[in-house]
Amino acid sequence: MRALTTMAYRQIKRFTRARSRVVGMIVNPLIWLVFFGLGWSKVFDNPMARAIFGGVDYLTFLAPGIFAMTIFNQSFIGGVSVIWDKQFGFLKEVLVAPASRKEGILGRILGDSLVTLTQGTIILLLTFLLAENLKISGILPALGVGFLLAVAFSGFGVSLALKMESMEGFQMVMMVLMLPLIFLSGAMYPIDTMPSWMRALAYINPLTYAVDGARHFLVGENVTKFALTTDVGVLALLALFLVGVAMIEFEKATIG
Amino acid sequence: MYAIEVENLVKKYGDFEAVKGISFKVKRGEIFAFLGPNGAGKTTTVHVLTTLLKLTSGKAIVAGHDVVKEPMEVRKRIGIVFQDPSLDRELTAYENMYIHGRIYGLGGNELKNKIEELLKFVELWEFRNKPVKYFSGGMQRRLEIARALLHEPEVLFLDEPTIGLDPQTRAHIWEYIKSMKEEHNMTIFLTTHYMDEAEQLADRIAIMDHGKIIAEGTAEELKKLVGNDVIYLKLEAPEDLKCLKAEFIRGCKLLSDGRVRLEVVNAAEALPKIFDLAKERNVKIVEVTYHRPTLNDVFLYLTGREIRDEEETNTLASMIRMRMRR
Repeated sequence: MRALTTMAYRQIKRFTRARSRVVGMIVNPLIWLVFFGLGWSKVFDNPMARAIFGGVDYLTFLAPGIFAMTIFNQSFIGGVSVIWDKQFGFLKEVLVAPASRKEGILGRILGDSLVTLTQGTIILLLTFLLAENLKISGILPALGVGFLLAVAFSGFGVSLALKMESMEGFQMVMMVLMLPLIFLSGAMYPIDTMPSWMRALAYINPLTYAVDGARHFLVGENVTKFALTTDVGVLALLALFLVGVAMIEFEKATIG
Repeated sequence: MYAIEVENLVKKYGDFEAVKGISFKVKRGEIFAFLGPNGAGKTTTVHVLTTLLKLTSGKAIVAGHDVVKEPMEVRKRIGIVFQDPSLDRELTAYENMYIHGRIYGLGGNELKNKIEELLKFVELWEFRNKPVKYFSGGMQRRLEIARALLHEPEVLFLDEPTIGLDPQTRAHIWEYIKSMKEEHNMTIFLTTHYMDEAEQLADRIAIMDHGKIIAEGTAEELKKLVGNDVIYLKLEAPEDLKCLKAEFIRGCKLLSDGRVRLEVVNAAEALPKIFDLAKERNVKIVEVTYHRPTLNDVFLYLTGREIRDEEETNTLASMIRMRMRR
Protein backbone atom coordinates (compact mmCIF):
# COMPACT_ATOMS: atom_id res chain seq x y z
CA MET A 1 0.00 0.00 0.00
CA ARG A 2 2.96 2.31 0.59
CA ALA A 3 3.72 2.87 -3.06
CA LEU A 4 0.06 3.35 -3.87
CA THR A 5 -0.66 6.04 -1.29
CA THR A 6 2.66 7.78 -1.90
CA MET A 7 2.15 8.08 -5.63
CA ALA A 8 -1.45 9.23 -5.18
CA TYR A 9 -0.18 11.83 -2.70
CA ARG A 10 2.38 13.00 -5.21
CA GLN A 11 -0.17 13.53 -7.98
CA ILE A 12 -2.45 15.50 -5.68
CA LYS A 13 0.48 17.60 -4.39
CA ARG A 14 1.54 18.40 -7.93
CA PHE A 15 -1.98 19.49 -8.75
CA THR A 16 -2.12 21.91 -5.82
CA ARG A 17 1.16 23.45 -7.03
CA ALA A 18 -0.13 24.14 -10.52
CA ARG A 19 -3.16 26.26 -9.77
CA SER A 20 -2.75 28.45 -12.82
CA ARG A 21 -3.05 25.35 -14.97
CA VAL A 22 -6.30 24.47 -13.24
CA VAL A 23 -7.88 27.67 -14.51
CA GLY A 24 -6.80 26.84 -18.05
CA MET A 25 -8.33 23.39 -17.78
CA ILE A 26 -11.70 24.74 -16.76
CA VAL A 27 -11.83 27.44 -19.42
CA ASN A 28 -12.11 24.98 -22.32
CA PRO A 29 -15.27 23.15 -21.19
CA LEU A 30 -16.77 26.47 -20.17
CA ILE A 31 -16.31 27.78 -23.71
CA TRP A 32 -18.23 24.77 -24.98
CA LEU A 33 -20.94 25.16 -22.42
CA VAL A 34 -21.45 28.90 -22.84
CA PHE A 35 -20.68 29.68 -26.48
CA PHE A 36 -21.87 26.39 -27.91
CA GLY A 37 -24.56 25.45 -25.42
CA LEU A 38 -26.07 28.84 -24.76
CA GLY A 39 -25.84 29.69 -28.44
CA TRP A 40 -27.83 26.65 -29.58
CA SER A 41 -30.21 26.70 -26.64
CA LYS A 42 -32.21 29.54 -28.22
CA VAL A 43 -32.38 27.71 -31.58
CA PHE A 44 -33.67 24.59 -29.86
CA ASP A 45 -36.12 26.46 -27.66
CA ASN A 46 -39.25 24.94 -29.29
CA PRO A 47 -41.44 21.86 -28.59
CA MET A 48 -40.14 19.89 -31.57
CA ALA A 49 -36.51 20.25 -30.56
CA ARG A 50 -37.37 19.48 -26.95
CA ALA A 51 -38.92 16.22 -28.11
CA ILE A 52 -35.64 15.28 -29.80
CA PHE A 53 -33.67 16.08 -26.65
CA GLY A 54 -35.88 13.93 -24.45
CA GLY A 55 -38.19 16.72 -23.38
CA VAL A 56 -35.59 18.92 -21.68
CA ASP A 57 -33.95 22.20 -22.70
CA TYR A 58 -30.73 21.98 -24.69
CA LEU A 59 -28.37 23.13 -21.91
CA THR A 60 -29.72 20.46 -19.59
CA PHE A 61 -29.22 17.90 -22.32
CA LEU A 62 -25.68 19.14 -23.00
CA ALA A 63 -24.48 19.55 -19.39
CA PRO A 64 -23.74 15.87 -18.59
CA GLY A 65 -21.89 15.68 -21.91
CA ILE A 66 -19.66 18.62 -21.02
CA PHE A 67 -19.00 17.03 -17.63
CA ALA A 68 -17.97 13.74 -19.23
CA MET A 69 -15.88 15.59 -21.80
CA THR A 70 -13.98 17.43 -19.06
CA ILE A 71 -13.25 14.21 -17.20
CA PHE A 72 -12.20 12.48 -20.39
CA ASN A 73 -9.85 15.30 -21.47
CA GLN A 74 -8.22 15.83 -18.11
CA SER A 75 -7.74 12.20 -17.17
CA PHE A 76 -6.19 11.44 -20.54
CA ILE A 77 -3.82 14.39 -20.21
CA GLY A 78 -3.06 13.34 -16.63
CA GLY A 79 -2.14 9.81 -17.67
CA VAL A 80 -0.01 11.02 -20.51
CA SER A 81 1.89 13.28 -18.11
CA VAL A 82 4.00 10.18 -17.39
CA ILE A 83 5.91 11.41 -20.41
CA TRP A 84 7.02 14.49 -18.45
CA ASP A 85 8.34 12.18 -15.76
CA LYS A 86 10.27 10.46 -18.50
CA GLN A 87 11.67 13.74 -19.78
CA PHE A 88 12.44 15.31 -16.40
CA GLY A 89 13.84 12.04 -15.11
CA PHE A 90 11.53 11.35 -12.19
CA LEU A 91 10.48 8.08 -13.86
CA LYS A 92 13.97 6.66 -13.21
CA GLU A 93 13.59 7.42 -9.52
CA VAL A 94 10.36 5.42 -9.49
CA LEU A 95 11.71 2.54 -11.57
CA VAL A 96 14.77 2.01 -9.39
CA ALA A 97 12.75 1.97 -6.17
CA PRO A 98 12.21 -1.31 -4.30
CA ALA A 99 8.45 -0.93 -4.37
CA SER A 100 5.74 -2.66 -6.34
CA ARG A 101 5.49 -0.93 -9.69
CA LYS A 102 1.94 -2.16 -10.19
CA GLU A 103 0.92 -0.53 -6.93
CA GLY A 104 2.81 2.64 -7.74
CA ILE A 105 1.18 3.16 -11.10
CA LEU A 106 -2.23 2.31 -9.67
CA GLY A 107 -1.65 4.97 -7.03
CA ARG A 108 -0.72 7.42 -9.69
CA ILE A 109 -3.87 6.64 -11.70
CA LEU A 110 -6.08 6.94 -8.62
CA GLY A 111 -4.43 10.21 -7.60
CA ASP A 112 -4.86 11.62 -11.07
CA SER A 113 -8.47 10.46 -11.14
CA LEU A 114 -9.22 12.28 -7.89
CA VAL A 115 -7.63 15.42 -9.30
CA THR A 116 -9.69 15.07 -12.48
CA LEU A 117 -12.82 14.54 -10.45
CA THR A 118 -12.19 17.80 -8.60
CA GLN A 119 -12.08 19.59 -11.92
CA GLY A 120 -15.20 17.76 -13.05
CA THR A 121 -17.00 18.84 -9.88
CA ILE A 122 -16.15 22.48 -10.52
CA ILE A 123 -17.53 22.23 -14.06
CA LEU A 124 -20.61 20.42 -12.83
CA LEU A 125 -21.35 23.13 -10.28
CA LEU A 126 -20.90 25.81 -12.92
CA THR A 127 -23.33 24.08 -15.27
CA PHE A 128 -25.95 24.24 -12.57
CA LEU A 129 -25.85 28.02 -12.95
CA LEU A 130 -26.83 27.76 -16.62
CA ALA A 131 -28.95 24.64 -17.06
CA GLU A 132 -32.29 24.81 -15.27
CA ASN A 133 -33.45 21.24 -15.02
CA LEU A 134 -30.48 19.35 -13.57
CA LYS A 135 -31.00 17.27 -10.42
CA ILE A 136 -28.85 18.27 -7.48
CA SER A 137 -29.31 14.77 -6.04
CA GLY A 138 -27.60 13.43 -9.15
CA ILE A 139 -24.24 15.11 -8.50
CA LEU A 140 -22.69 12.44 -6.29
CA PRO A 141 -23.66 9.39 -8.38
CA ALA A 142 -22.65 11.28 -11.54
CA LEU A 143 -19.23 11.82 -9.96
CA GLY A 144 -19.11 8.05 -9.50
CA VAL A 145 -19.59 7.58 -13.23
CA GLY A 146 -16.98 10.28 -13.81
CA PHE A 147 -14.54 8.40 -11.59
CA LEU A 148 -14.82 5.22 -13.65
CA LEU A 149 -14.23 7.21 -16.81
CA ALA A 150 -11.27 9.01 -15.23
CA VAL A 151 -9.63 5.78 -14.10
CA ALA A 152 -10.09 4.22 -17.54
CA PHE A 153 -8.55 7.09 -19.46
CA SER A 154 -5.76 7.77 -16.95
CA GLY A 155 -4.79 4.15 -17.47
CA PHE A 156 -4.97 4.52 -21.23
CA GLY A 157 -2.87 7.70 -21.07
CA VAL A 158 -0.20 5.98 -18.97
CA SER A 159 0.13 3.06 -21.40
CA LEU A 160 0.31 5.45 -24.33
CA ALA A 161 2.93 7.66 -22.64
CA LEU A 162 5.15 4.67 -21.90
CA LYS A 163 5.25 3.94 -25.63
CA MET A 164 5.94 7.51 -26.71
CA GLU A 165 9.18 9.41 -26.91
CA SER A 166 7.96 12.99 -27.01
CA MET A 167 5.02 15.22 -26.34
CA GLU A 168 4.65 16.04 -30.04
CA GLY A 169 3.35 12.56 -30.81
CA PHE A 170 0.79 13.01 -28.09
CA GLN A 171 -0.51 16.27 -29.58
CA MET A 172 -1.20 14.31 -32.75
CA VAL A 173 -3.12 11.61 -30.90
CA MET A 174 -5.12 14.29 -29.08
CA MET A 175 -6.01 16.05 -32.32
CA VAL A 176 -7.07 12.87 -34.06
CA LEU A 177 -8.97 11.28 -31.16
CA MET A 178 -10.47 13.97 -29.01
CA LEU A 179 -13.04 15.72 -31.19
CA PRO A 180 -14.46 12.63 -32.95
CA LEU A 181 -14.84 10.86 -29.61
CA ILE A 182 -16.75 13.82 -28.24
CA PHE A 183 -18.96 14.29 -31.31
CA LEU A 184 -19.71 10.56 -31.40
CA SER A 185 -20.62 10.29 -27.73
CA GLY A 186 -24.14 11.63 -27.81
CA ALA A 187 -22.99 14.58 -25.72
CA MET A 188 -24.23 17.18 -28.20
CA TYR A 189 -27.04 15.39 -30.07
CA PRO A 190 -28.82 12.10 -29.44
CA ILE A 191 -27.27 8.97 -30.84
CA ASP A 192 -30.60 7.91 -32.38
CA THR A 193 -30.65 10.85 -34.80
CA MET A 194 -27.23 9.93 -36.21
CA PRO A 195 -26.81 8.13 -39.57
CA SER A 196 -26.46 4.42 -38.93
CA TRP A 197 -22.69 4.25 -39.60
CA MET A 198 -22.09 7.06 -37.10
CA ARG A 199 -24.35 5.33 -34.62
CA ALA A 200 -22.25 2.18 -34.93
CA LEU A 201 -19.17 4.21 -34.03
CA ALA A 202 -21.01 5.79 -31.12
CA TYR A 203 -21.79 2.34 -29.73
CA ILE A 204 -18.10 1.43 -29.52
CA ASN A 205 -17.14 4.82 -28.10
CA PRO A 206 -16.59 4.48 -24.32
CA LEU A 207 -17.44 8.14 -23.83
CA THR A 208 -21.01 7.37 -24.98
CA TYR A 209 -21.61 5.28 -21.88
CA ALA A 210 -20.17 7.90 -19.56
CA VAL A 211 -22.38 10.61 -21.06
CA ASP A 212 -25.40 8.33 -20.86
CA GLY A 213 -24.60 7.26 -17.31
CA ALA A 214 -24.17 10.84 -16.13
CA ARG A 215 -27.52 11.73 -17.78
CA HIS A 216 -29.25 9.01 -15.82
CA PHE A 217 -28.45 10.76 -12.61
CA LEU A 218 -28.34 14.41 -13.62
CA VAL A 219 -31.34 14.58 -16.00
CA GLY A 220 -33.46 11.43 -15.80
CA GLU A 221 -34.37 8.14 -17.41
CA ASN A 222 -36.36 9.63 -20.29
CA VAL A 223 -33.25 11.19 -21.89
CA THR A 224 -31.00 8.15 -21.70
CA LYS A 225 -30.28 5.55 -24.32
CA PHE A 226 -29.03 2.54 -22.35
CA ALA A 227 -29.88 0.93 -19.03
CA LEU A 228 -27.84 2.27 -16.13
CA THR A 229 -26.35 -1.17 -15.53
CA THR A 230 -25.09 -1.22 -19.12
CA ASP A 231 -23.44 2.19 -18.74
CA VAL A 232 -21.78 1.42 -15.43
CA GLY A 233 -20.89 -2.14 -16.48
CA VAL A 234 -19.17 -1.04 -19.69
CA LEU A 235 -17.23 1.71 -17.91
CA ALA A 236 -16.19 -0.53 -15.03
CA LEU A 237 -14.96 -3.28 -17.36
CA LEU A 238 -13.12 -0.77 -19.49
CA ALA A 239 -11.50 0.81 -16.42
CA LEU A 240 -10.37 -2.59 -15.16
CA PHE A 241 -8.99 -3.55 -18.53
CA LEU A 242 -7.11 -0.29 -19.20
CA VAL A 243 -5.68 -0.11 -15.68
CA GLY A 244 -4.59 -3.73 -16.01
CA VAL A 245 -2.79 -2.94 -19.26
CA ALA A 246 -1.13 0.10 -17.68
CA MET A 247 0.07 -1.99 -14.72
CA ILE A 248 1.56 -4.65 -16.97
CA GLU A 249 3.21 -2.06 -19.22
CA PHE A 250 4.66 -0.24 -16.24
CA GLU A 251 6.01 -3.45 -14.77
CA LYS A 252 7.96 -3.99 -17.99
CA ALA A 253 9.15 -0.39 -18.33
CA THR A 254 12.88 0.20 -18.64
CA ILE A 255 14.84 3.31 -19.43
CA GLY A 256 16.62 4.32 -22.60
CA MET B 1 33.77 -9.32 1.04
CA TYR B 2 32.80 -7.62 -2.20
CA ALA B 3 30.02 -5.08 -2.65
CA ILE B 4 29.99 -5.48 -6.43
CA GLU B 5 31.15 -8.44 -8.48
CA VAL B 6 30.89 -8.31 -12.23
CA GLU B 7 31.88 -11.10 -14.58
CA ASN B 8 32.00 -10.81 -18.32
CA LEU B 9 29.19 -8.31 -18.49
CA VAL B 10 27.90 -7.66 -22.01
CA LYS B 11 25.18 -5.20 -22.95
CA LYS B 12 24.01 -4.87 -26.54
CA TYR B 13 21.53 -2.45 -28.04
CA GLY B 14 20.52 -4.30 -31.18
CA ASP B 15 23.76 -4.75 -33.07
CA PHE B 16 25.65 -2.19 -31.07
CA GLU B 17 27.70 -3.56 -28.21
CA ALA B 18 27.83 -0.82 -25.56
CA VAL B 19 29.61 -2.94 -22.94
CA LYS B 20 31.90 -5.62 -24.30
CA GLY B 21 32.44 -8.16 -21.58
CA ILE B 22 33.85 -6.38 -18.53
CA SER B 23 34.83 -7.95 -15.20
CA PHE B 24 35.70 -6.20 -11.96
CA LYS B 25 35.19 -6.35 -8.22
CA VAL B 26 34.54 -3.57 -5.74
CA LYS B 27 35.37 -4.11 -2.08
CA ARG B 28 33.05 -3.04 0.69
CA GLY B 29 33.74 0.46 1.94
CA GLU B 30 35.70 1.38 -1.13
CA ILE B 31 35.24 4.23 -3.60
CA PHE B 32 35.61 2.73 -7.04
CA ALA B 33 35.63 4.93 -10.12
CA PHE B 34 34.93 4.26 -13.76
CA LEU B 35 36.97 6.79 -15.69
CA GLY B 36 36.50 7.22 -19.40
CA PRO B 37 35.27 9.50 -22.16
CA ASN B 38 31.60 9.98 -22.97
CA GLY B 39 30.16 6.97 -24.75
CA ALA B 40 32.62 4.54 -23.16
CA GLY B 41 29.76 2.51 -21.65
CA LYS B 42 29.97 3.83 -18.09
CA THR B 43 26.35 4.86 -17.71
CA THR B 44 25.11 1.69 -19.40
CA THR B 45 27.07 -0.31 -16.83
CA VAL B 46 25.52 1.70 -13.99
CA HIS B 47 22.04 1.13 -15.37
CA VAL B 48 22.65 -2.61 -15.56
CA LEU B 49 24.04 -2.71 -12.02
CA THR B 50 21.07 -0.74 -10.71
CA THR B 51 18.58 -3.13 -12.39
CA LEU B 52 17.26 -0.52 -14.82
CA LEU B 53 18.60 -2.29 -17.90
CA LYS B 54 18.75 -6.00 -18.57
CA LEU B 55 22.20 -7.33 -19.33
CA THR B 56 22.73 -9.29 -22.53
CA SER B 57 25.08 -11.82 -20.98
CA GLY B 58 27.41 -12.23 -18.04
CA LYS B 59 26.84 -11.92 -14.34
CA ALA B 60 26.53 -9.06 -11.88
CA ILE B 61 26.18 -9.30 -8.10
CA VAL B 62 25.44 -6.08 -6.21
CA ALA B 63 25.24 -5.98 -2.40
CA GLY B 64 25.16 -9.77 -2.36
CA HIS B 65 22.31 -10.23 -4.82
CA ASP B 66 22.12 -11.05 -8.51
CA VAL B 67 20.79 -8.07 -10.49
CA VAL B 68 18.89 -10.33 -12.89
CA LYS B 69 17.46 -12.89 -10.48
CA GLU B 70 16.78 -10.68 -7.47
CA PRO B 71 16.34 -7.12 -8.70
CA MET B 72 14.09 -6.19 -5.77
CA GLU B 73 16.73 -7.24 -3.23
CA VAL B 74 19.33 -5.21 -5.08
CA ARG B 75 17.05 -2.16 -5.27
CA LYS B 76 16.53 -2.19 -1.51
CA ARG B 77 20.26 -2.00 -0.90
CA ILE B 78 21.39 0.62 -3.38
CA GLY B 79 21.11 4.35 -3.81
CA ILE B 80 21.72 6.16 -7.04
CA VAL B 81 22.36 9.66 -8.29
CA PHE B 82 21.67 9.62 -12.01
CA GLN B 83 23.68 11.57 -14.54
CA ASP B 84 20.57 13.49 -15.62
CA PRO B 85 18.26 15.15 -13.11
CA SER B 86 15.60 12.88 -11.63
CA LEU B 87 13.78 15.15 -9.18
CA ASP B 88 10.15 16.16 -9.26
CA ARG B 89 10.61 19.80 -10.21
CA GLU B 90 7.13 20.89 -9.17
CA LEU B 91 7.57 19.64 -5.62
CA THR B 92 9.71 21.12 -2.84
CA ALA B 93 12.99 19.69 -1.62
CA TYR B 94 11.25 18.36 1.47
CA GLU B 95 8.47 16.71 -0.53
CA ASN B 96 10.97 15.05 -2.84
CA MET B 97 12.72 13.61 0.19
CA TYR B 98 9.44 12.63 1.83
CA ILE B 99 8.13 10.78 -1.23
CA HIS B 100 11.42 8.94 -1.66
CA GLY B 101 11.41 7.90 1.98
CA ARG B 102 7.84 6.65 1.81
CA ILE B 103 8.48 4.62 -1.33
CA TYR B 104 11.49 3.03 0.36
CA GLY B 105 9.36 2.04 3.33
CA LEU B 106 10.32 4.73 5.85
CA GLY B 107 7.82 6.77 7.80
CA GLY B 108 6.92 8.64 10.93
CA ASN B 109 9.45 10.45 13.07
CA GLU B 110 12.29 8.28 11.82
CA LEU B 111 11.73 9.64 8.32
CA LYS B 112 11.31 13.23 9.53
CA ASN B 113 14.54 13.14 11.50
CA LYS B 114 16.43 11.53 8.67
CA ILE B 115 15.23 14.15 6.18
CA GLU B 116 16.28 16.95 8.50
CA GLU B 117 19.68 15.39 9.13
CA LEU B 118 20.40 14.88 5.44
CA LEU B 119 19.07 18.22 4.22
CA LYS B 120 21.34 19.83 6.81
CA PHE B 121 24.23 17.65 5.66
CA VAL B 122 23.92 18.98 2.10
CA GLU B 123 23.10 22.48 3.39
CA LEU B 124 19.64 22.70 1.90
CA TRP B 125 17.60 22.72 5.10
CA GLU B 126 16.74 26.40 4.80
CA PHE B 127 15.48 25.86 1.24
CA ARG B 128 13.40 22.82 2.11
CA ASN B 129 10.07 24.44 1.22
CA LYS B 130 11.12 25.78 -2.14
CA PRO B 131 10.04 23.99 -5.33
CA VAL B 132 12.99 22.27 -6.91
CA LYS B 133 12.53 24.06 -10.24
CA TYR B 134 13.96 27.20 -8.61
CA PHE B 135 17.13 25.36 -7.52
CA SER B 136 20.50 25.82 -9.22
CA GLY B 137 22.19 22.82 -10.80
CA GLY B 138 24.45 22.39 -7.79
CA MET B 139 21.57 22.55 -5.33
CA GLN B 140 19.65 19.94 -7.32
CA ARG B 141 22.67 17.67 -7.29
CA ARG B 142 23.06 18.05 -3.54
CA LEU B 143 19.39 17.26 -3.04
CA GLU B 144 19.76 14.15 -5.19
CA ILE B 145 22.71 13.03 -3.10
CA ALA B 146 20.75 13.57 0.11
CA ARG B 147 17.81 11.69 -1.36
CA ALA B 148 19.99 8.75 -2.41
CA LEU B 149 21.28 8.48 1.17
CA LEU B 150 17.86 8.59 2.83
CA HIS B 151 17.33 4.83 2.98
CA GLU B 152 20.94 4.17 4.06
CA PRO B 153 22.03 2.15 1.02
CA GLU B 154 24.90 -0.32 1.21
CA VAL B 155 26.15 0.69 -2.20
CA LEU B 156 25.82 4.17 -3.63
CA PHE B 157 26.04 4.78 -7.38
CA LEU B 158 27.06 8.23 -8.54
CA ASP B 159 26.87 8.67 -12.30
CA GLU B 160 28.94 11.72 -13.27
CA PRO B 161 28.09 13.46 -9.99
CA THR B 162 29.63 16.81 -10.88
CA ILE B 163 29.01 17.04 -14.61
CA GLY B 164 28.14 20.56 -15.68
CA LEU B 165 28.89 22.12 -12.30
CA ASP B 166 31.29 24.97 -11.59
CA PRO B 167 34.64 24.15 -9.92
CA GLN B 168 33.60 25.48 -6.51
CA THR B 169 30.44 23.39 -6.41
CA ARG B 170 32.37 20.37 -7.61
CA ALA B 171 34.85 20.67 -4.76
CA HIS B 172 31.91 21.02 -2.39
CA ILE B 173 30.31 17.83 -3.63
CA TRP B 174 33.62 16.00 -3.37
CA GLU B 175 33.67 16.91 0.30
CA TYR B 176 30.24 15.33 0.80
CA ILE B 177 31.32 12.17 -0.99
CA LYS B 178 34.47 11.86 1.10
CA SER B 179 32.63 12.37 4.36
CA MET B 180 29.99 9.82 3.34
CA LYS B 181 32.68 7.24 2.93
CA GLU B 182 34.35 8.16 6.19
CA GLU B 183 31.26 8.46 8.35
CA HIS B 184 29.17 5.61 6.98
CA ASN B 185 31.80 3.33 5.51
CA MET B 186 29.67 3.22 2.40
CA THR B 187 30.70 1.55 -0.84
CA ILE B 188 30.61 4.12 -3.62
CA PHE B 189 30.65 3.36 -7.32
CA LEU B 190 31.41 6.48 -9.29
CA THR B 191 31.60 7.20 -12.98
CA THR B 192 33.35 10.28 -14.29
CA HIS B 193 35.18 11.69 -17.23
CA TYR B 194 37.06 14.13 -15.00
CA MET B 195 40.52 12.84 -14.16
CA ASP B 196 40.87 15.06 -11.13
CA GLU B 197 37.62 13.71 -9.76
CA ALA B 198 38.69 10.09 -10.06
CA GLU B 199 42.06 10.94 -8.54
CA GLN B 200 40.62 12.96 -5.66
CA LEU B 201 37.96 10.50 -4.65
CA ALA B 202 38.64 6.97 -5.77
CA ASP B 203 40.53 4.26 -3.94
CA ARG B 204 40.67 2.35 -7.18
CA ILE B 205 40.03 3.35 -10.76
CA ALA B 206 39.03 1.37 -13.83
CA ILE B 207 39.73 3.14 -17.09
CA MET B 208 37.03 2.42 -19.61
CA ASP B 209 37.07 2.99 -23.34
CA HIS B 210 34.80 1.70 -26.11
CA GLY B 211 32.96 -0.67 -23.78
CA LYS B 212 36.06 -2.25 -22.28
CA ILE B 213 38.10 -1.82 -19.13
CA ILE B 214 41.59 -1.10 -20.41
CA ALA B 215 43.35 -0.67 -17.08
CA GLU B 216 42.55 -0.94 -13.40
CA GLY B 217 44.29 0.00 -10.17
CA THR B 218 44.96 2.84 -7.78
CA ALA B 219 45.83 6.19 -9.31
CA GLU B 220 49.48 5.58 -8.38
CA GLU B 221 49.52 2.15 -9.97
CA LEU B 222 47.96 3.46 -13.15
CA LYS B 223 50.46 6.28 -13.42
CA LYS B 224 53.28 3.82 -13.12
CA LEU B 225 52.10 2.32 -16.39
CA VAL B 226 53.32 5.45 -18.08
CA GLY B 227 56.62 5.70 -16.32
CA ASN B 228 58.46 7.47 -13.56
CA ASP B 229 58.12 10.92 -12.07
CA VAL B 230 60.58 13.40 -13.49
CA ILE B 231 62.57 15.91 -11.42
CA TYR B 232 64.55 18.82 -12.86
CA LEU B 233 67.31 20.35 -10.74
CA LYS B 234 69.20 23.57 -11.38
CA LEU B 235 72.42 23.92 -9.47
CA GLU B 236 74.14 27.09 -8.30
CA ALA B 237 77.52 26.19 -9.71
CA PRO B 238 77.40 24.60 -13.17
CA GLU B 239 80.79 23.00 -12.58
CA ASP B 240 79.12 20.76 -9.97
CA LEU B 241 77.04 19.30 -12.73
CA LYS B 242 77.17 15.58 -12.66
CA CYS B 243 74.79 12.74 -12.13
CA LEU B 244 73.67 11.93 -8.64
CA LYS B 245 73.87 8.26 -7.90
CA ALA B 246 71.51 6.53 -5.50
CA GLU B 247 69.36 3.40 -5.56
CA PHE B 248 66.12 5.35 -5.77
CA ILE B 249 67.19 7.24 -8.89
CA ARG B 250 66.06 5.34 -11.95
CA GLY B 251 67.61 7.52 -14.56
CA CYS B 252 69.73 10.63 -14.84
CA LYS B 253 70.54 12.96 -17.67
CA LEU B 254 72.47 16.20 -17.95
CA LEU B 255 70.56 18.69 -20.02
CA SER B 256 72.08 21.17 -22.44
CA ASP B 257 70.53 24.09 -20.56
CA GLY B 258 72.57 23.16 -17.49
CA ARG B 259 69.92 21.26 -15.59
CA VAL B 260 69.82 17.69 -14.33
CA ARG B 261 66.88 15.50 -15.23
CA LEU B 262 66.21 12.69 -12.75
CA GLU B 263 63.69 9.89 -13.07
CA VAL B 264 62.29 8.54 -9.83
CA VAL B 265 59.37 6.31 -8.89
CA ASN B 266 57.81 8.80 -6.54
CA ALA B 267 58.96 12.40 -6.65
CA ALA B 268 57.31 13.31 -3.37
CA GLU B 269 59.40 10.73 -1.52
CA ALA B 270 62.56 11.24 -3.54
CA LEU B 271 62.86 15.00 -3.17
CA PRO B 272 63.87 15.10 0.53
CA LYS B 273 66.46 12.40 -0.14
CA ILE B 274 67.88 14.42 -3.00
CA PHE B 275 68.19 17.46 -0.76
CA ASP B 276 70.03 15.34 1.81
CA LEU B 277 72.39 14.01 -0.86
CA ALA B 278 73.08 17.49 -2.15
CA LYS B 279 73.85 18.71 1.36
CA GLU B 280 76.25 15.81 1.97
CA ARG B 281 78.16 16.65 -1.18
CA ASN B 282 77.96 20.38 -0.67
CA VAL B 283 76.03 21.02 -3.85
CA LYS B 284 73.62 23.94 -3.78
CA ILE B 285 70.29 23.53 -5.54
CA VAL B 286 68.69 26.77 -6.70
CA GLU B 287 65.62 25.49 -8.49
CA VAL B 288 63.50 22.34 -8.47
CA THR B 289 60.62 21.43 -10.75
CA TYR B 290 58.99 18.09 -11.10
CA HIS B 291 56.36 16.53 -13.28
CA ARG B 292 54.18 13.61 -12.35
CA PRO B 293 52.31 11.65 -14.98
CA THR B 294 48.59 12.41 -14.83
CA LEU B 295 45.74 10.04 -15.51
CA ASN B 296 45.40 11.85 -18.79
CA ASP B 297 48.93 10.69 -19.64
CA VAL B 298 47.79 7.18 -18.74
CA PHE B 299 44.78 7.38 -21.03
CA LEU B 300 46.92 8.89 -23.77
CA TYR B 301 49.46 6.11 -23.31
CA LEU B 302 46.80 3.38 -23.46
CA THR B 303 44.60 4.68 -26.26
CA GLY B 304 46.65 7.27 -28.08
CA ARG B 305 43.87 9.83 -27.41
CA GLU B 306 43.20 12.46 -24.79
CA ILE B 307 40.40 11.59 -22.43
CA ARG B 308 38.41 14.78 -22.54
CA ASP B 309 39.18 16.64 -25.66
CA GLU B 310 37.02 14.67 -28.05
CA GLU B 311 33.81 16.43 -27.12
CA GLU B 312 35.51 19.79 -26.68
CA THR B 313 37.07 19.77 -30.12
CA ASN B 314 33.79 18.59 -31.51
CA THR B 315 31.84 21.49 -30.04
CA LEU B 316 34.54 23.88 -31.12
CA ALA B 317 34.43 22.50 -34.62
CA SER B 318 30.67 22.77 -34.78
CA MET B 319 30.82 26.31 -33.44
CA ILE B 320 33.23 27.24 -36.17
CA ARG B 321 31.01 25.58 -38.71
CA MET B 322 28.02 27.53 -37.46
CA ARG B 323 29.91 30.79 -37.64
CA MET B 324 30.94 30.06 -41.18
CA ARG B 325 27.40 29.36 -42.25
CA ARG B 326 26.30 32.87 -41.31
